[in-house]
Amino acid sequence: MRLELLERRGDPASPVHQAPALGKLLLTLLFIGVVVSSPSRNPILPAAALLTITLVAAVARISPGHLIRKLVSVEPFVVSVALLSLLQPGGVAIFLSMVIKSSLSVLAMILLVSTTRFGDLLRALRRLRLPGIMVMTLALMHRYIAVLGDETERMRRARASRTLVRGRRRAWSDLAAVAARLFIRSSERAERIYHAMCARGWRT
Amino acid sequence: MIALEVSNLVHRYTGGHESLRGISFQVEEGECVGLIGPNGAGKSTLLLHLNGILPERESQHSSIRVLDREVTTQNLAWIRRNVGLLFQDPDDQLFCPTVFDDVAFGPEQTGLTGKELAACVAGALAQVGLTGYEERLPHRLSQGEKRRVCLAGVLACDPRLLVLDEPTSNLDPRARRELRDLLRRLPATKLIATHDLEFVVELCPRVLVFDQGRIVAAGPTRTVLADAPLMLAHGLEVPHILQHDHPHGAARSGPEPRP
Repeated sequence: MRLELLERRGDPASPVHQAPALGKLLLTLLFIGVVVSSPSRNPILPAAALLTITLVAAVARISPGHLIRKLVSVEPFVVSVALLSLLQPGGVAIFLSMVIKSSLSVLAMILLVSTTRFGDLLRALRRLRLPGIMVMTLALMHRYIAVLGDETERMRRARASRTLVRGRRRAWSDLAAVAARLFIRSSERAERIYHAMCARGWRT
Repeated sequence: MIALEVSNLVHRYTGGHESLRGISFQVEEGECVGLIGPNGAGKSTLLLHLNGILPERESQHSSIRVLDREVTTQNLAWIRRNVGLLFQDPDDQLFCPTVFDDVAFGPEQTGLTGKELAACVAGALAQVGLTGYEERLPHRLSQGEKRRVCLAGVLACDPRLLVLDEPTSNLDPRARRELRDLLRRLPATKLIATHDLEFVVELCPRVLVFDQGRIVAAGPTRTVLADAPLMLAHGLEVPHILQHDHPHGAARSGPEPRP
């Protein structure tokens, strides 16, 4: 499975890639804090933030296309949360402010993930004293996205190889069947992973 | 010294299926013993018991002793440090983001940190021939490499008893051969559950045959596995390596059976 979402991009020898993960994580959190808490009606700060992101991306040799693609994939969640603000007086300005601030924050996170190994990020989170169970959950999620992706693809192919009639309704019912089976398999796998963790001394 | 002693082990899964029906056997320290039998014979269930994953026992008369210590919930930390369990699917066992993190998982539980931890991981990876793999991502490894990283994760805990569940499943011939040679070099006591009968002939001087939760035969591998009626009666077959006397001597290349 292609794991573009989880892998570093750009030039691995760039200063941004080489910088310590903990420092990058702290700077990203500071950046997000500043962006989120900045006055909504001041256009200079968002512009400066975007310029910073563009400069860092250029130094790291990360293409704007990569950043935009990743941003677009997250944008539906950002917009759907921001839509609620349209229901209040002066909602359009709040909506725009929310979308801009959220998008800048997401861009900063994409930049962090694209220039830092996931393992290094988890170690940085541990050093920041994030609860171990949260770090472990993130680690497991990162590890098993690829495994579940492969499993989904195998099931999809197996179904497709015996699908003789095409049709939208049929495709949806097939998708539902694959999702249900994947859920059961994931639950069984979770139990086996837990056994494997216990076998090496987890919580004894 | 006796490395493993299982007495009258009984196990019943929720729902009533009895998977182990009074299993008893012993393994001497340094021995390599094969466990064979058809699917559902109870091999994997037995292996989970040896590491204390399935600690509850049906019978009060059941007991498992590893290096003279009873497998009980009070002894779990010691048992899990000394019994290394290799699971059938490497993707179940490689649950950390990098090879380093995964191999370090066991030693970290015992309090190892910093340079000591790094040295322990490097040593375990060197043992399986994967020096320099520390920062590799598990999903980018071949099946053979994944299996070896799993083994490194187990070896990093320095176990005295190695318990392997289908170690050759999904391996190509080269990876299988490398794993066989690697296991031969390891001094720990080994218990290998597998359908790969040739592998058993090549590695294990002694074998236990399981069927329907019972041990139905035990003895020197070449004698037991050459017994065609016994093999057929329990869903197995005489391995090719014992059927013919190969001109290149393959049939004679495995270890000699214990007297």
